[in-house]
Amino acid sequence: MLFAVPLGITLAISFGTVDELGNAIYGWNPGNYADVFDPLFGPVLLRSVAYATATVVLCILIGYPIAYYITQFGGRYKYALLGLVVIPFLVNYLIRIYAWVALLSDEGLVNGVLKDVGLTTNGVGFLNTSYTVIGGLVYGYLAFMILPIFAALDRMDSSVIEAGKDLYGTPWQTFRHVTWPSTFQGVLAGSVLVFLPAVGDFVSAQLLGGTNTFMIGNLIQQQFFGAGNWPFGAALTTVMMGFLLIFMVFYLRSAARAATEARA
Amino acid sequence: MTAARGQALRLPFSRRGTAGRETRPKEFDRPRFLKWFLVAFLVFTLAPIAIVALFSLNSSKSLQHFDGFSLQWYQDFLNDQQLRESLFASLEIATVTMVVATLLGSTLAYGLVRSRTRFSGATNVLMLIPLVTPEIVAGVSALLLFTQLGMQLSLATIMIAQVTFSISYVTVIVRARLSGLGREVEEAAMDLGATRLQTLRLITLPGLWPAIVAAALLVFALSFDDFVLSFFTTGTSPQPLPVRIYSSIRFGVTPTINAIGTLMMLISVTTIVLAIALPRLVGRREDRTPLLGGEV
Repeated sequence: MLFAVPLGITLAISFGTVDELGNAIYGWNPGNYADVFDPLFGPVLLRSVAYATATVVLCILIGYPIAYYITQFGGRYKYALLGLVVIPFLVNYLIRIYAWVALLSDEGLVNGVLKDVGLTTNGVGFLNTSYTVIGGLVYGYLAFMILPIFAALDRMDSSVIEAGKDLYGTPWQTFRHVTWPSTFQGVLAGSVLVFLPAVGDFVSAQLLGGTNTFMIGNLIQQQFFGAGNWPFGAALTTVMMGFLLIFMVFYLRSAARAATEARA
Repeated sequence: MTAARGQALRLPFSRRGTAGRETRPKEFDRPRFLKWFLVAFLVFTLAPIAIVALFSLNSSKSLQHFDGFSLQWYQDFLNDQQLRESLFASLEIATVTMVVATLLGSTLAYGLVRSRTRFSGATNVLMLIPLVTPEIVAGVSALLLFTQLGMQLSLATIMIAQVTFSISYVTVIVRARLSGLGREVEEAAMDLGATRLQTLRLITLPGLWPAIVAAALLVFALSFDDFVLSFFTTGTSPQPLPVRIYSSIRFGVTPTINAIGTLMMLISVTTIVLAIALPRLVGRREDRTPLLGGEV
């Protein structure tokens, strides 16, 4: 209940207009939605999805080997290693992004070292690129990928990998036909958990990027602070929520299924 | 016939099996590159945070050269009245959110588990929705709700918004523990003449408290750290610490932010580590905090 009412109001306002003072008033103005898909904002929407997708792919590529190594070879230090891996992600997201700003900015540490070594005189402009924004997102949400994969790999009976070897599978074949399929659910759960917050994120693009890396979150934030077209902001939020709802329903269904299986 | 076929199948397998064992690629057993990958990963994730902490102790204003230890940036932070107000505002919000969300969430969990109605299954899934909703959606809808109700944005609105979204965490954690406790002990207590309230106080709560404390600590940390929801629901003054930091980072990096960041890191990491460690220390091994696996 506490959750549905605010969302309903957002939906209602998304159809509204603004009065001359800039206050939101209710009404029927589907034009807000036409604006969302305006060619002006199209690139922003596409960019958000592209950045989030790239983040998910990178998280799998980084997170899977990490989780794999820890579960298979961590031995008695398994949980200690997992703790070490997860600790940075307990730090406030804002501070973590800030840490990269402090490292990569023009007056930052990396540029300082590069200048001292003599590799550059004017400094390298690291910030304001797609790479830094996506990097920030990966650094922000990687834990959501590592933990489900860790859980899936931990549940898997590692003697099936033994069996794969005994049946003359190469490491790659064994991974493809044995390990990957049996942990795929974990990868899927992790992908949704990373994708959802990454699409809506505006901190990484704001602090590590610039106007040409803006995502839908930045656009929404602008509507509510500054530019000030609240109904348009609400329409943007509704469109994003509708798009993400597909992934949420998918995740909740698989979560519910896992729960019933665990009970049986 | 069957024995012969079994023999025929097994023989070449075992013969080649032993031969294969010697030629089996080495990387199967301990892939070296994975180990170095993990080391590189740890360096990349821990170094930025460590550097923030180190430079918060720098005696000069430089962010590029470390010139000796000093606590001046922490002093700066504590002497700045606005920042001090923000710190207290954040602590106040986190404390109130923790208390209210823990009370409501635990009660809800108790109700969901102990009254097995038709809806409890559906509610279990519904409880997860706030956990997977992007924060910005939550922030926007909370902001619109408050303005439509004509409420002045203040610390109170932040608290209301945060309580709403923290209840889920509490319920999920406490519910997991409660389902593990088993109903039999409570029934036994009531068979022995205990009233419902006595059973709750003497049997259920002692078994539940590690989960409740863990949930409370987690909510405190999440609320203290929360930026997006606070950003959308905050009034002008005093603003919570993360909101204040955000606006100053936009204007540039300063050593004072390093100090605040380090302080915040210490507070949130300690509370979350406590929240995770506590149920393990006092409880059985199986009751892990369920949220961490990203699953129900």
